Amino acid sequence: MDPITLISIIKGGLILGALYALMATGLSLVWTTLGIFNFAHGAFIALGAYVAWQFSSADALGWPMLPAVLLTCAVMFLVGVILHFLLVKPFERRSDVVLIAVITTLAGSTILENGLLLIWGPRSKQIEPLTRGEVDLAGLHLTTAEILLLVLVLAILLGIGMFLRYSRPGRSMRAVSQNREAAQLLGLDVPKLYAIAFGLSALTAGLAGIFLGTIRFMHPAMGSEPLMKALVVVIFGGVARFSSPIYAAFIIGLLEAFSTYIFGVYWAPAVLFVTMIVVLLVKPEGLFGKYQRTL
Amino acid sequence: MRYDPPLQKTQGLWPLLLAVVALVAYPFVFEATYFRHVMILAFVFAIVATSWDFSLGFGGLFNFAHVALFAVGIYTYAILAKTLGVSPWLAILAGGFTSAFVALLISIPVLRLDGIYVILVTIAFSQLLYLIVISASSVTGGTSGMVTLPTLTINGYRLSGDGRIGYYFVGLGLLAANILFLYLVTRSRLGRATVALKDNKYYAIARGISEARTRALTLMASAVFTGLAGAFYAAYLRVASPDAFGMGFLTLLLSILLMGGAGTIWGPVIAAFGISVISEWLSGFGAWQNIVISVAIILVVVLYPGGLWAAIQEIREAVDNVRTGTLARLRRNRGRAEREALTGATERMIRTRFAEIAVADTGEAEKPALLFCHGNSACKEAFYKQFRSMSDTHRVIAFDLPGHGVSGNGDPETTYNVAAYAEIAEAVLADCGVDKVAVFGWSLGGYVALELAARGNVEVTALAIAGTPPLAVVPEDFGNGYNPDSHLVLAGKQYFSRQEARDYGNSATAPISADSAFMHRNLPRTDGRARVYMMTKISIIDWPRQMRMLAEGRIPFAILNGSDDPFLNHGYIARLNYGSIWRGAPQDIMGGRHAPFFNKPDAFDLAFYAFLRDAESGSDATFRPSRMAATA
Repeated sequence: MDPITLISIIKGGLILGALYALMATGLSLVWTTLGIFNFAHGAFIALGAYVAWQFSSADALGWPMLPAVLLTCAVMFLVGVILHFLLVKPFERRSDVVLIAVITTLAGSTILENGLLLIWGPRSKQIEPLTRGEVDLAGLHLTTAEILLLVLVLAILLGIGMFLRYSRPGRSMRAVSQNREAAQLLGLDVPKLYAIAFGLSALTAGLAGIFLGTIRFMHPAMGSEPLMKALVVVIFGGVARFSSPIYAAFIIGLLEAFSTYIFGVYWAPAVLFVTMIVVLLVKPEGLFGKYQRTL
Repeated sequence: MRYDPPLQKTQGLWPLLLAVVALVAYPFVFEATYFRHVMILAFVFAIVATSWDFSLGFGGLFNFAHVALFAVGIYTYAILAKTLGVSPWLAILAGGFTSAFVALLISIPVLRLDGIYVILVTIAFSQLLYLIVISASSVTGGTSGMVTLPTLTINGYRLSGDGRIGYYFVGLGLLAANILFLYLVTRSRLGRATVALKDNKYYAIARGISEARTRALTLMASAVFTGLAGAFYAAYLRVASPDAFGMGFLTLLLSILLMGGAGTIWGPVIAAFGISVISEWLSGFGAWQNIVISVAIILVVVLYPGGLWAAIQEIREAVDNVRTGTLARLRRNRGRAEREALTGATERMIRTRFAEIAVADTGEAEKPALLFCHGNSACKEAFYKQFRSMSDTHRVIAFDLPGHGVSGNGDPETTYNVAAYAEIAEAVLADCGVDKVAVFGWSLGGYVALELAARGNVEVTALAIAGTPPLAVVPEDFGNGYNPDSHLVLAGKQYFSRQEARDYGNSATAPISADSAFMHRNLPRTDGRARVYMMTKISIIDWPRQMRMLAEGRIPFAILNGSDDPFLNHGYIARLNYGSIWRGAPQDIMGGRHAPFFNKPDAFDLAFYAFLRDAESGSDATFRPSRMAATA
């Protein structure tokens, strides 16, 4: 393997990792705060891409990118809050909420995907990339879009991290995820925080969808494959800290890039799933997780 | 506690026979291929959904790779029958085997995990299988799948001929075999262990159930017919496509399972037929098909978590409530003279805050009062022999518990429990104007008597029980105090078949004779909810308070069990700590059964009279601490 190939594999891995990090962060936000797994996350990704396309594409409204993205974020946050009220909130107090949430979010995901199909039709679409420039760095070929993606994702993750760490609602959300009862006793508005967490998760999914929409073709089920990858990432890294799925995302991204090179594009995902199952067998709490006995 | 009557003795037999006749007749009535096609799909979905229910509903194992097990059956058939040229029938059998083997593989990562992790790992596993199928395109055909698979034949006759009638009956047979298999498995040791692990994992493990082995076996048992159904499905449609791994198929099966009702066998079977028809009908509407099914899933989970099966049960319960309530109201007037002749007491109805209660009272306020509390599914006339023999010296009072005899039915949540029964006994005594009373309680009535005395709102001058092991800790002491090899488990069963009613009546009171026939006639009147709620609410009673009362021994107390009581563990009752018990130990009525006052009235009356006399004189010689209390 010559150094150029090696570097371009690493480059591909980092870009994959950045996308996975964005998706996995949204997923783990809901998981840690609400204690449920949101299977509609993949559909959120697709929805974000379609909404952004609707605002920005020359075939639709044709707005400039920045307002389109901002408005998409707002729409996604709202969709997240609404779906939280429809799919999760009614069952919050049930003892089998984990299973029920799986069922309702799966159903919600089916509704969203088929809704997309009804509204925008089956024809593939693509969002215009923000920039079309290209850069050659010591023999390494990079598009400015790729650089922008890496920078933006890192900035978004940093922003979410700062929000969780320093802002009042962010800190409240972490408190709720650590101990719901205690947080409630201290006067935190838990239902509101749950709604915010769900909305924020949908927002990050929407952003991931926009990035995906610029580099791949869009179709209603475009989120299901990234969702599976995000699932692998979250399990692989655990959700002990905000940063653990991010590290895991880059590891998985690199692993996928290398195994695609070595085993081919078809077998690479299988390698990831095998890795995940092995991790679960050895360390069910995830690579960066702390062992906790759950009842 | 084992009481599993064979299917032919339960109430499910006739609906089942009707369904079988209807399904066998169906293809001869509906000859169009399409109608048969929908039913064949329904058979397959019913098999997969019920099998899934064994691991998910019965075992609480959220195996989301179940659909992948179905796909394993499909591809096993496709590869064996087409690529390798194996006989299609053998290939179908092999589908069951490979599916069970894959289930064993899935169980390995699942063994150590709980809750949501099981869901995630099984989904990952199913994705892994999907990716392998997609990737190994030289064997499986990749994303385009395999087509023109061999069809099933018998001696050269193609099952798809004559409007697919052959496939119809093979599918029906497979479904019947699957139901029989699940019916037997859920009643086997494995099935009980599976349910026990779901209900109370750590207790089950402490009782020696291996979690790992049970999980693996549960998953394998749920896989066998899933694989067979997959292979049959492939043979029928002659196509193996990776779509079988998809979320659409998963959602469809999940909706069948949930709408039918998780944790039941019949619910998903019924739902499979309904949803297959609806789904086929909706398939012309494209994307709307999945949207409608998904909305329906959410609505069922929100509004009707128990599914169709729960709805059927609720209707049945409402009907039964009307039946028993009407029966009680009718008998209140029509049989009254007969009942009063039997007991020699006058019967009147009193209002309590729980229900209308029928009270038999011999009146005569100057005599010492004596209250009798009857047992589960019985009535106050059970004591008619004591009404006759003791009314000369005592004012004898007995009442029908709510939901029993000619009393009205009550709100099950608040009424059908021992604490409410004790409060009703207080209300009855207040209505009679009695403030000092000797109490005798039989079986469930024994707990009512104990609770009445422990509450201390009424002065109990003497307390005797029969057929009642006092409890300290439930459910442990329930297991210790009763003999599990009896019809006891019926005491908490909502609906009795004729056989069960006879069994329970025979064991609880007496085998049917001219003397006991009225008790057997009364039994079906009992509100089934009274049995269920009483049993499930057994843990809300302050049992330790009763035990403390018995250990303190301030109230003259006697135990007068039948020596041949089939329900009791006599050793447990003898070993308890009684601070003061008549003659120092439980006194057995020789030859008496669960209702000694009914089976051996003379011996019982002799003992009971002696106890009442001693209680009145309060002689320390006859009331001694039990052996346990003396050594303590």
